[in-house]
Amino acid sequence: MRKSSLAFVGVLLGATALAHPASADVKIGLLGGVSGPIAAMAPAMIDAAQLAIQQVNEQGGLLAGENLVGVVGDSGCNPQNATDAATKAVNIEGISAMVGPHCSGAVLAAANSVTIPAGITMITPSGTSPEISKLADKDTVFRTVPSDDYQGRALARTLLERGTGKVAVAYLNNDYGKGLAEAFKAEFEEKGGEIAGFAAHEDGKASYRSNLAELADGGADTLVLFDYGDGTGLTILRQALENGFFETFIGGDGMKSDAPIRELGAENLGTFYASSPVGEQSAGLEAFNAAFKAIGGDPNAIFVTTSYDATFLAALALEKAGGDKAKVHEALREVSNGEGEAILPGEWKKAKELIAAGTAIDYKGAAGDHNFDANGDVPGTYALWRVEGDTFAVETEMK
Amino acid sequence: MLDLINFYLVPGIVLGSIYALGAVGITLVFAILRYAHLAHGDLATLGAFLALAVVSAIGLPVYAALPVAMIVTAGVAVGVDRLFYDYLRERPKIVTVMASLGVALMIRSLVQVIWGVDAESYTRGISRPENWWGIRLKDREIATVAVMIGLVLALQLFLLRTKWGKAMRAMSDNPDLALLSGIDNRKVVTLTWIIVGGLCAASGYFLGLNTELKSLMGWQMLLPMFAAAILGGVGRIEGAVIGGLVVGIAEELSVLVLPSEYKAAMAFAILLVMLLVRPTGLLRGKVL
Repeated sequence: MRKSSLAFVGVLLGATALAHPASADVKIGLLGGVSGPIAAMAPAMIDAAQLAIQQVNEQGGLLAGENLVGVVGDSGCNPQNATDAATKAVNIEGISAMVGPHCSGAVLAAANSVTIPAGITMITPSGTSPEISKLADKDTVFRTVPSDDYQGRALARTLLERGTGKVAVAYLNNDYGKGLAEAFKAEFEEKGGEIAGFAAHEDGKASYRSNLAELADGGADTLVLFDYGDGTGLTILRQALENGFFETFIGGDGMKSDAPIRELGAENLGTFYASSPVGEQSAGLEAFNAAFKAIGGDPNAIFVTTSYDATFLAALALEKAGGDKAKVHEALREVSNGEGEAILPGEWKKAKELIAAGTAIDYKGAAGDHNFDANGDVPGTYALWRVEGDTFAVETEMK
Repeated sequence: MLDLINFYLVPGIVLGSIYALGAVGITLVFAILRYAHLAHGDLATLGAFLALAVVSAIGLPVYAALPVAMIVTAGVAVGVDRLFYDYLRERPKIVTVMASLGVALMIRSLVQVIWGVDAESYTRGISRPENWWGIRLKDREIATVAVMIGLVLALQLFLLRTKWGKAMRAMSDNPDLALLSGIDNRKVVTLTWIIVGGLCAASGYFLGLNTELKSLMGWQMLLPMFAAAILGGVGRIEGAVIGGLVVGIAEELSVLVLPSEYKAAMAFAILLVMLLVRPTGLLRGKVL
């Protein structure tokens, strides 16, 4: 008995010893909100990330031909699940870089408690909270989506330019609403605008008329509403219109949803505007669109371009760093800083050869150029949209 | 002054009426079956969406959808009782309470599978209120309060005057004694669920009519409804109505003195204070 169990242990030991040299895979973590409130968006985002990995493997793989493997984890769009999933990815799977998580709260938790201490580079494709810029991250947290700080400030400047000097602000009491509202307020007041009401609200109440009455008390006739058009934002917009609170309504990207048009009717939304990021037409975007359509994806789905870029950038940085986890964040800045030979989405072979030859490269992605600033953020382009017919049309560019 | 009535008191009363309809159901389950029914909110959601199905599929007018939704939801409530709660009747009550949480999740998932997770509404567009000597009221708000009062009066009359109403009260008082006096407990339980299901559907329907229909709408109402039932005194129909109105109006008025993000905490605060100061509720409830 003792002999046989010894032999069994021996076999196990041998198997693990063998397993190591055989696994010439380099893993990157793909953490996403597979379950939870953004479950509808996550599959397309992960497909886009897998597309980048597939292209890398088809065009020679990483370093000396190693396979790049995406390890999918569920961050559940909440801090607890994100920490668990990140811990598993870093400590058990041994990932070399992480793409995700998708939600701001999840990003903050996973970065603070797992990836920053471990020195693993994290690139989120969709965490937009300004809080992410403030992380003491030793330069290891990046994002391919612009911070809401830019959006809030751009919206403030645009409103002032259009002659709106006095507004009331209502925002949803979460990371998204609060970040956007505070960025907006800071810029609006700094540029001479007056905030005549500034209040958070909780999700899911039946009546917001008292909130609206309180906000309208300040005397503003424009309401800036940072919320989701499919949720509380719709209720507030409806009750404001029905009761004649405010004349003009301005929303953030969360309000640019079909729900207000579908439920309230375009004829009632003549004074409703919403800001949202706009993709700039570029060769990079076209290359991605063609490749993503070819695998059956919808290139217009939200955050697929940023997910693809985050993954492709992670692969480029890993190649540049020679597979050294600790150097990925430095390499990431080198492969996308606006200097060097342009690399478009899908051009892995070209990039690999240039890196091997020691030539500087500059990734020009599907969602933008991704020249990261000191906080690891990228600037965004936004437009203000109005309701026209049964859809949104660009009212003006936002600067 | 008019502003106070229009934007704080009127929404508070409408909201309170919706809470009241739910709280009466909760109080009935408490009094007769003696457990907290956590699937109450999601049953209300189901009722609201059933009314939507009637409006959009059959094309009935919005108000005509209410009785249909009430009848179907009553049927669902009886079915849920037969399938899940009946089997647990002799076990400790906490088992049934937990089972009702499971039922809540099942009903919610069912609603999400059938109708999706997007916000819906009974009628497209917006309806502006009419001006009644300075007080701004919408038809649907008048209907909400009127139907609530009508349903509660009818229920009170039923409980006080009819044979089956008396049977329900008897069972609420002492189930064993009621059984010995020849009252069929099973029939009383079924009757209770028919009434509770109908009231649930009504509260969900009016919430949907006054705002939008969302798959989480009922769940988010559960706490204020429980607060209302306990505030009024568990087992007291008129107490649940008063409790609902107090919670609804307090939530709306709280914005005057508290930052608006704490509005949702109002029901919690009322519940807490009531349990500390007067756990029997305003009307000293226990039995019907």
